[in-house]
Amino acid sequence: MAEEKELNGLRINKITAILDSMRDDPAVLKAVTGPWKSRVVWQGGFKAKAYMRKHAVEMDEPDGLDASDSAASAHEQLLSAVGSCLTVGYVLNATKRGVKIHDLEIALEGNFENILKWAGHSPAGNPGYPTIKAKCFVRADADEKVLRELWQAAVDGSPVTQTVARPTQILTEFEKV
Amino acid sequence: MAQQLFPVTVVGSWTRPEWLVHALRRRQAGEITAEEFNQIADDAVLAAIKYQEDAGVDIVADGEMRRDNFYSFVVEKLSGMRLMKLSQLLDYMKDRAGFEEILRGLDVPAFAIKSPIAVAKVHGTEEGIALDEARFLKAHTRRQTKVPIPGPYLLTRSSWFEGLSDKTYPKREDLAKDIVRILRHEIEGLKRLGVDFIQLDEPSISQVVYGDEAEQTFMCAALGSRTDPTSELEFAVRLVNETVEGFKGVRFGVHVCRGNWSRKENVLLTGNYGPLLPSLMRMNVDQLVLEMATPRAGEVEVFKEYSNEKEIGLGVANPRTDEIEKPVQIVSRVKEMLRYFDPPKIFLNPDCGFGTFAERCVNTPEIAYRKLQAITEAAEILRREYH
Repeated sequence: MAEEKELNGLRINKITAILDSMRDDPAVLKAVTGPWKSRVVWQGGFKAKAYMRKHAVEMDEPDGLDASDSAASAHEQLLSAVGSCLTVGYVLNATKRGVKIHDLEIALEGNFENILKWAGHSPAGNPGYPTIKAKCFVRADADEKVLRELWQAAVDGSPVTQTVARPTQILTEFEKV
Repeated sequence: MAQQLFPVTVVGSWTRPEWLVHALRRRQAGEITAEEFNQIADDAVLAAIKYQEDAGVDIVADGEMRRDNFYSFVVEKLSGMRLMKLSQLLDYMKDRAGFEEILRGLDVPAFAIKSPIAVAKVHGTEEGIALDEARFLKAHTRRQTKVPIPGPYLLTRSSWFEGLSDKTYPKREDLAKDIVRILRHEIEGLKRLGVDFIQLDEPSISQVVYGDEAEQTFMCAALGSRTDPTSELEFAVRLVNETVEGFKGVRFGVHVCRGNWSRKENVLLTGNYGPLLPSLMRMNVDQLVLEMATPRAGEVEVFKEYSNEKEIGLGVANPRTDEIEKPVQIVSRVKEMLRYFDPPKIFLNPDCGFGTFAERCVNTPEIAYRKLQAITEAAEILRREYH
């Protein structure tokens, strides 16, 4: 039996087969497409807990907001979600091209446009981030041109980045129980 | 042997050729042995020595060609130390938010900062820290020799990390005792080999005064936990003095700069030596090896109160610029210092090394060589004037 080759902590044959099956098998594509789900349950104060499949993530707000700061806030976790998704994309693309990564780090930041809207002091404007900066630092066995191409592929193919970067409809509903 | 006036020397590191960096990576990945690496590095050291000798340097160093950086190489020389990336230490960091601000200010990734962390009782070996470097250097030059080694404050501050070190060393002071003992043993070895000049690198001292106030900081990649500035400087003075106490017949220097990890001057620290001099002057060493070429180091007037108290290793060339300093400019800078120090007290050197970090050298060998040449030309002019 041929030895299973690993690169960047991934089994190359296995990941290639999975990617091919997404293209070739409609059932796999459907499963990967979604729906993806999260259920967020209030925990008191500004705390919330998000349940996703078998995982749970806590969220809180900084103590400057009279919260307990027991976890990162939701908007920080949004930055982290963008960075994590870009990380996954970079590793995927590097592995497909046979590039060994030694270190990979993404630094993200954003400023709210008008947080006074969240605070209820301003009726207009965007309370969210109008821009998010994401800087990738990588040390890998390829020349800079290749590493930049991998970054661009990661950005273009990132579901979270592209969700945040495009106008995304959020269909809200409400029910009093 | 009487020392001629205005001896020219280097701070230590030389710029690394790509093939050496490649070999270093292979050694770190375990693809070649330390012995195989050293054979490759021998050629690089010989080239570094030749550059210095050809440029007219009087006191030469081996260029730190075997080191990955100026201090973290000790992990391979000492047991009980582990080289850890800052990205591996984030889980243990107390003030992570403060540290994040420093990283962003410097625009560096956490994985690029590596620190030797004491994870068990730290022991030296008979091989020493830089004895192999010194032995090879002595065998391949007839000039006087300088060996830079990490200073006791730098090593203690950078390698004691709460959550990892405190099981063996409850306090930083406990680790400091072992560091001082190891460095004293090293100095004995270097002296036996006939090294002329031992330089203790203490760049993180400047971070105490000029740096960010975060509890955990880094300076030239030297991670560190610190207390208030007064206590820190007192601690540094005590450790340096304990390290050099009783040794005779070798010149001791302490090198303090404001950072040499980037060519972006705005990310390096700024401030004159004034706040540090009361402490530096209490260190029982012969010479202070200081950067003075960069405007970030401030004015020489701060030395007025300390006239002739020590030798000054005067930094007269910026290792991070492409422009070659003109000998007349260097002469003029030296003359400013001659207002406070007699000619025999002044040595000339670049502000810092040319390759403090093997993978982040700040200049090419050609430019480094021409900068040294400019310094030796300036020294000749000065010798003619002050003979």
